[in-house]
Amino acid sequence: MRVLGINSLYLWVLLGIFTMYSGCTDAPEDKNSTSKVNLLQNATVDQIQSHIASFSGEKPVLVNIWATWCLPCVEEFPYIMDLKSKYGDQFELVFISADFEEARMEATEFLDFQGVNFTTFFKQGKDNDFIAGISEAWSGAIPYTLVIDKDGVTHTEWEGKADYQDFEKALLQVIQ
Amino acid sequence: MKQRIHHLIIKSSFILSLFALVGFTSVAAQDIEQLPLGSTLPLGDVSMEDISGRNLTLNGVKGDNGLLVVFSCNTCPWVIKWEDRYPVVQEIAAANDIGMILLNPNEDYRDKGDGMDDMILHAEKAGYDLPYVLDKNHRVADAFGASRTPHVYLFDSEDKLVYVGAIDDNANSAADVEEFYIKDAIEQLSAGQPITTASTKSIGCTIKRLGN
Repeated sequence: MRVLGINSLYLWVLLGIFTMYSGCTDAPEDKNSTSKVNLLQNATVDQIQSHIASFSGEKPVLVNIWATWCLPCVEEFPYIMDLKSKYGDQFELVFISADFEEARMEATEFLDFQGVNFTTFFKQGKDNDFIAGISEAWSGAIPYTLVIDKDGVTHTEWEGKADYQDFEKALLQVIQ
Repeated sequence: MKQRIHHLIIKSSFILSLFALVGFTSVAAQDIEQLPLGSTLPLGDVSMEDISGRNLTLNGVKGDNGLLVVFSCNTCPWVIKWEDRYPVVQEIAAANDIGMILLNPNEDYRDKGDGMDDMILHAEKAGYDLPYVLDKNHRVADAFGASRTPHVYLFDSEDKLVYVGAIDDNANSAADVEEFYIKDAIEQLSAGQPITTASTKSIGCTIKRLGN
């Protein structure tokens, strides 16, 4: 049995609170469905760039870099999942975990708890190259979010936590 | 049924926490302008409270060959990973007549582990033997354009910014560091050589600014 530390418990309690607060009650009922996908796949920045580029000409992409230890990341995560529930295939959602290797299991549990039922990525490689490969504008602080339009051009990006309305506003500008 | 109970628990938590959450949902994305290389040290005379109880300024900590400023905190896992290298860096800095200081800018977390009492305890636990000051209202962090912890700034003897970024290229393991950025920068600065890698980036925790 895994024993969660006080910080972890705090994060999970907050997670529950924010899930309700954001109205995120649409998580899949069948949690077993998530076992069929690799929730957290190792990926280098090149692989992530290729994945994002594969949607160019097809649909916009929202990229969010997060970690279980990052409270603002955990707080805003449900907002993004709400948007995915609301707008579905109108955009592609790419989550990248910047967790340390020892937190991989906790990250997977978090994703499952949030109702994520698609593959997300687990950062591999050195920070400096990874950050530069994601965006020149990114200093490395997380959470970090990019909203990329259908043509593969970054429409907007920001460092730090945002609320539901900000995410939706940025997204609507690229999916309409 | 299990899910219903789970939702009820969450709902109860939500109601109990509602008042605490009011005003907690505004936009918080950081919009910070990084101090460009070559800039002059800002706010060198601002007095900041140190864990020793004294008040210190950046100018007061500065050595003959420069100053190393590290925005740090008690609560960031990346700081925890990296802080085993603080004494090493301190030794390198001291050997090169460069002063070193840690600043805690997390004003929004003063009651969540980044207050002065927490800083004193953390410094003791981590074995810090260097100035660790409270950057009240993240005034200095704002002037530097610091975005995260840890975030490192090296100034030369003329107070010009010559290096900004990470300590090294491996937070997780000191033994596996391949590029010790700040060591290289200090040694090149001391030798009067151009700094080959003057700017680097690393993942870290956002600085917990008021209003974020």
